[in-house]
Amino acid sequence: MEANHMTEREPELRATAAISIDQTAAIAPEREERLFLLLSIVIGIISGLLAVSFRMAIEWLNVLLLGSAPKPGQPRLFIIPAIAGVVIAVLTRYVFPKVRGSGVNQTKAALYINNGYISFRTVIGKFMLSALAIGSGHSLGPEDPALQIGAGVASLISRKMGLSRERLRLFAPVGAAAGLAAAFNAPISAILFVIEEVIGRWNASVLGSIVLGAVSSVVVARWFWGSQPMFRIPTVTFDSRELLAYTVLGVFGGIASLIFAKAIGYLRPRLRRQSAWKQMLQPGLAGLLVGGIGYFGLPQVMGAGYEAIDQAMHAQFAWKILLALAIFKIIATTLSFSSGTPGGMFAPTLFIGAMLGASIGAFEKLYFPQLHLAGSLGSYALVGMGVLFAAFLRAPLTSVFMVLEVSGNYSIIVPVILANAIAYVISRTFQPVPVFEMLTIQDGLYLPSMEEQREESELHIEDAMRRAIAPVLEGTDAVAKAMKAVAQYQEMKDGSVLLIHCSDGLWYAATHKELEDIFANVSEADASRWLEERLGKERTPMLFPDLLLASTLPYFKRWPLLPITNRARRGALEGAVSMADVIKRYQAR
Amino acid sequence: MSRTEVSLARRRLFLRDSAAFLVLALITGALFLVTLFLFRSFTSHRAELAVRWSGRGKDALQAGKPQEAIVALRTGLSYAPGTRSYELLLAQALEDAGRTDEASNYFMNLWVAQPGDGFINLELARLAAKRNDPRDAVKYYRASIYGTWEGDGVVRRREVRLELARYLIAQHNTNAARIELLIAAGNSPSDPKLNRTLADLLVETGDVADGFAFYNKVIEADSKNQAALAGAGRAAYRLGNFATAHSLLERALEAKASPLEKNQTHSGELETMLKNSRRILELRPSGKLRSSERVSRILVDLGIAKKRFSSCAAGFGTTDKLPPALEELNARWASDDVDHGRAKLLQSAARQDAAVQLIYDTEVQTSRICGVAGGDDALLLLLAKSPDTVER
Repeated sequence: MEANHMTEREPELRATAAISIDQTAAIAPEREERLFLLLSIVIGIISGLLAVSFRMAIEWLNVLLLGSAPKPGQPRLFIIPAIAGVVIAVLTRYVFPKVRGSGVNQTKAALYINNGYISFRTVIGKFMLSALAIGSGHSLGPEDPALQIGAGVASLISRKMGLSRERLRLFAPVGAAAGLAAAFNAPISAILFVIEEVIGRWNASVLGSIVLGAVSSVVVARWFWGSQPMFRIPTVTFDSRELLAYTVLGVFGGIASLIFAKAIGYLRPRLRRQSAWKQMLQPGLAGLLVGGIGYFGLPQVMGAGYEAIDQAMHAQFAWKILLALAIFKIIATTLSFSSGTPGGMFAPTLFIGAMLGASIGAFEKLYFPQLHLAGSLGSYALVGMGVLFAAFLRAPLTSVFMVLEVSGNYSIIVPVILANAIAYVISRTFQPVPVFEMLTIQDGLYLPSMEEQREESELHIEDAMRRAIAPVLEGTDAVAKAMKAVAQYQEMKDGSVLLIHCSDGLWYAATHKELEDIFANVSEADASRWLEERLGKERTPMLFPDLLLASTLPYFKRWPLLPITNRARRGALEGAVSMADVIKRYQAR
Repeated sequence: MSRTEVSLARRRLFLRDSAAFLVLALITGALFLVTLFLFRSFTSHRAELAVRWSGRGKDALQAGKPQEAIVALRTGLSYAPGTRSYELLLAQALEDAGRTDEASNYFMNLWVAQPGDGFINLELARLAAKRNDPRDAVKYYRASIYGTWEGDGVVRRREVRLELARYLIAQHNTNAARIELLIAAGNSPSDPKLNRTLADLLVETGDVADGFAFYNKVIEADSKNQAALAGAGRAAYRLGNFATAHSLLERALEAKASPLEKNQTHSGELETMLKNSRRILELRPSGKLRSSERVSRILVDLGIAKKRFSSCAAGFGTTDKLPPALEELNARWASDDVDHGRAKLLQSAARQDAAVQLIYDTEVQTSRICGVAGGDDALLLLLAKSPDTVER
């Protein structure tokens, strides 16, 4: 499958004014560092404003196209999404070809393939078409597009400022975090999500700027929307006897996320394999089907579904309706997303989780009152959101913080961690490839991921270390004494190593030949001096058993053997590694 | 590059960066203003929609169309999330629509946020009562009584307590209901309407005496209050205070506004009671009567009782087969101690009392063995059951 829609051709970097980027770096080396922090704030503010406008655009369009109170039986419920789907398909094909999908993988692709470049046209297209799709009722969310819009803004600004390629690459996650934070009104979750899903690895160099950008954008968003979280969370209570109930939620959440991921994994590549003109029809057809679900009874599944999440949290539905909403949202989102309609999966995931959680909570309360379920349905909906987030999006850390951040209540942490862990394990066992990675693979890209990192088991020095069997000399021994000692090892070859323990606790690994050379030039006066004085100031590096095995590699050019010492007792020898040991260990994997 | 050139380049770079930031600031400012303008328009439009839809919901609820109200109120709440008045209306609409589970869930959710709210607890109590869950119903009724109310808290608490009492009566928990009513009475001002309600409910709990006292309070304030007069008359009748009952029932029937009302079933019952009480007063052999009058009545009553005994005993065939209680009565009726002659009765008050006791015992025993009789026998039985109160 082609990755064309995921990546954008990066234009040549323009030299600003009369001087090149390299020259700029030469004459003002700290300029980029300072600009980086300042621009992070500006990007955050602009992303925040765009996220506010984006949300407004979606809600305006929603009222305008579907009416202020969409209810079953209104023909426009399926006519409008279908027409909007056709318009989106045409514009996606001929005007904004890079706006398909959620935006997370596109941003990630931009970061790893195009130095963070996202074109302004894509930003405009993503804004317009995602707003039209979600506003017209396609079952998609605004967060992932907001993330890409933020990254696009960051890309645009950083390029105009004439920054180096390295910096340009770092700006994409800053903008992404800012866009997501403003869209979700939850800065910590946004930061963690970008680290887990966009950057795919912990990167200290960009963390400060990501935080600045996210916080700036949230300040702007809160200026408009108010400081309340995205969802009105009812009072969250928790009784430890309820853990069993939350365990059940974790199991069902894991199964639901599995079904959701498998459905997308099955349908999306099949739809993408269709001919171009058939692909043009897909968003319209998806709109028709999603609208049909709304027309025949469940208009709540249309659009992002925040109102329905709020209603579920405030116990406005019975458990059967909640379960039906969860099931049909999975179907609707699979259709909308697989058809290539631009829009995110963040909100639908939360919707499914909230409905499932509230449904299970209501069912348990109704039929198992002996479980002493003190928690409100809101608590179950909240935990359900975290569960789907952890299991479907495979962002376990973000999922926990997201729940804490939106609820502002730490008493819920135990059920969240329990349920998330169960759902995550189920999902990971039966769907080893996370959904975002699955999508990139379907698109022919191989991008790094946190999950991939988790799979990797790094080797450490202790894995290759063996007992030090080399002869040991004391650095404080007189040269004459050392010569006698070395003379005892006549059978040693020139390349054989002797370890010298110096008075400062450090070691010196010398070859037999090296010592022979030193001893050859010793005068009588020098014979009584300490051996370590003849060795100069150089010592083998201090290495410990827990360090990465790869960290030893640069030293073998100079040292034939590396003594490994104890972290608590300076100079105490734990063992030694040679180049051969390291290679042997890597080859044994 | 020479040092001068580097310095110049640095200066140019600084100016360029400053200009870039200025442009960025201007763009940000412009974007902010546009967003602000759109946001204001957006929020005011949402507020309008919220008011419009919640208004429709309220109207639908008042018009008895809870389903329509639910849709409208949900829409209203989606435009103004968390508006308490809309939430309460929605919960009410769910309850009215018979969606008890959803309404319970919804009220429960509101309760979690405000566990001390009187209204929410009251609605939860009503829903629990609908679900036939007396434990929860009583719990929430009590929480409602001790909960917070906006404005007229005292009145609302009293109303809830009365509602709880009604619920307890329906659950046949009359003792608990009586206690609630007495507490409500103790905390309330002397209001005729309230006193009448208390009286009605107290009578329902079986506390006829306290009920009668509250009816009297109403009559003190409004001597022509027909309902109170009727209630008090009934209560006095049940208490065996037939003289008072007769007087009150007479006044109650007099107080009837129209002839049409007088013909209603309700007044039919009152008239029967009035007739009975009048007859009881004619039959009662009160110790306060002149001796000749008392003896006359005893003789009439003896005749009625004797007839009742005979008909009851006849049901058993021969006297050998009589149950012990009737056998004992038979012996008393046949005994010389009971001489039913007028002259002999006039001579001794003790003989009169023995005759009265025989009449009462006969009515009591025959009603137990042969079933309840009608007519004068039934009235004599009433007298037999409350001989002391009759004298009051």
